[in-house]
Amino acid sequence: MSPKVYVEEKKTKPNGAAVAKPLQGPADYKRYLVKFQSLIALFILCLVIGLLSDKFFTVANGWNVMRQISVNICISVGMTLVVLTAGIDLSVGSILALCGAITAGLLKFGLEFPGMDMFVGFTMLGAVLAGILTGTSLGMFNGWTITRFKVPPFVATLAMLTIARGLTMLWTEGFPISNLGSNFAYLGTGWLLGIPVPVWISGVIVLAAVIVTKKTRLGRYIYAIGGNESAARLSGININRIKIIVYAIAGALAAIGGLIVTSRLNSAQPNAGISYELDAIAAVVIGGTSLSGGRGTILGTVLGAIIIGVLNNGLVLLDVSPFWQQVVKGFVILLAVIIDKANSKGE
Amino acid sequence: MKKRLKYIIAAVVVVLLAYNSVYFEKLSEVKAEAATGKFDAASYAATFWDTKLMPGLNQAVEVNDLMAQLQSDKEAAFKAHSNALGIGNIRYFLIKGEGELSSINENDVTILAMADGEQKPVKIATEFVYGNAVRDALGLVDLNDFSNTMDLNNVSEELNRKIRTEVVPPFRAAAKKGDKVTFIGAIELNKEHLRLDEIEVIPVALEVVKE
Repeated sequence: MSPKVYVEEKKTKPNGAAVAKPLQGPADYKRYLVKFQSLIALFILCLVIGLLSDKFFTVANGWNVMRQISVNICISVGMTLVVLTAGIDLSVGSILALCGAITAGLLKFGLEFPGMDMFVGFTMLGAVLAGILTGTSLGMFNGWTITRFKVPPFVATLAMLTIARGLTMLWTEGFPISNLGSNFAYLGTGWLLGIPVPVWISGVIVLAAVIVTKKTRLGRYIYAIGGNESAARLSGININRIKIIVYAIAGALAAIGGLIVTSRLNSAQPNAGISYELDAIAAVVIGGTSLSGGRGTILGTVLGAIIIGVLNNGLVLLDVSPFWQQVVKGFVILLAVIIDKANSKGE
Repeated sequence: MKKRLKYIIAAVVVVLLAYNSVYFEKLSEVKAEAATGKFDAASYAATFWDTKLMPGLNQAVEVNDLMAQLQSDKEAAFKAHSNALGIGNIRYFLIKGEGELSSINENDVTILAMADGEQKPVKIATEFVYGNAVRDALGLVDLNDFSNTMDLNNVSEELNRKIRTEVVPPFRAAAKKGDKVTFIGAIELNKEHLRLDEIEVIPVALEVVKE
């Protein structure tokens, strides 16, 4: 009896697009399993939590989870771009806090110039733009130190983590800045067409990031740099410029995350965003982006962020101690990396 | 030409954004305006004391009843009698009771009051009067009256100062060990980690009953 041989045929449509091929054997099943592993994990996770808690599959809880993960999605999208270039950004949590505080401070107190007897007040638009501009600038600074002085991204952004946190404390004097008005609160707590505003914001960011990574030159350069930086340089890509842009985007998205957090609480907390960078990295890794760069997708990261969000929510609903929640999350990240490594070997 | 047009459009957008982002005023005028509307924690606390806290003392629950309810149905007791401004396990109760003054210490006095069906020592703080128990126990503080948390905390500080300077001294001057004492005050309990043997009352009203 001759063994079965599975022959993979390349089929294309007249326009060159690949034609979906029916599953033909164990290898195909394995490939699909690997491709959709995050989705399967999410499905199983939801099923288990849903069986253990009757509050999980409720509309209110669903929106609650979506609101919560929208901040992580904003940060994770930026982190994905950074990781795709084989970098890392540990400063996003602190940048989030600083930008939230700056927005809140400008909105509430404005700027005073006693020597000129001048007060500069900020409208909501102005305060929001100032926050985003701050995040972008700090991200650019990260990119500049990494490219100009060849500081490893881990160290450069670790330094920025401390700098931004210190600046937040200086700006807020260690106190929360609260009561920022109902207009600003709308950003984090409002609804638009039956969907929470933070979900809209993160949705637009995801859409833009998908377009950038899949359809633009910048996206192709990002993958090229992460895949093989030397080859990318030799092919004429301005590596430094692209990296600075990528870190600037990560900073800007962290700032937007900061606006959502601040608006949601109607208060800028000096301690906001602590360890948010870890959740973002976790979402990126769980979503299948390789930490060595060049491989990964924005949608994978979104899925990773949803898994983290659902896991957080489930553990809270199941009344698991916050200490155990951290342990569980750590193991989930570890498991994701191990599976990713195993898959990479297989490829 | 095309590039120049791009720059012109970008400049117009920046100017429009800047115009809608900031406004300028004289700092002296802004400060003068702010000074008139500055929050006065002392007068807020005094008004709160006279118009809300004192009239609301009749809502205080008997310490004996509260202990019994906490033992039998914690959830119901917290729901019926506790208040708090924030979310979390820390909740505040306004309680009342009477009993014999069993000890007078440097920082507190202890009253043997009927609690949970038996005579139990209830500690009344007289020196270290801190926290938000008095402010929050009745649930009558409106968060919308405050523009920042410092103002809110200053109200607690003023209420506690009032207790230290107006409630405690006359009592300490008059009280002797063995006196019969009535008290109304606020306590803080942790819903998740309930400890009924370590109650400390922040007194709002404290009197020696003359026989």
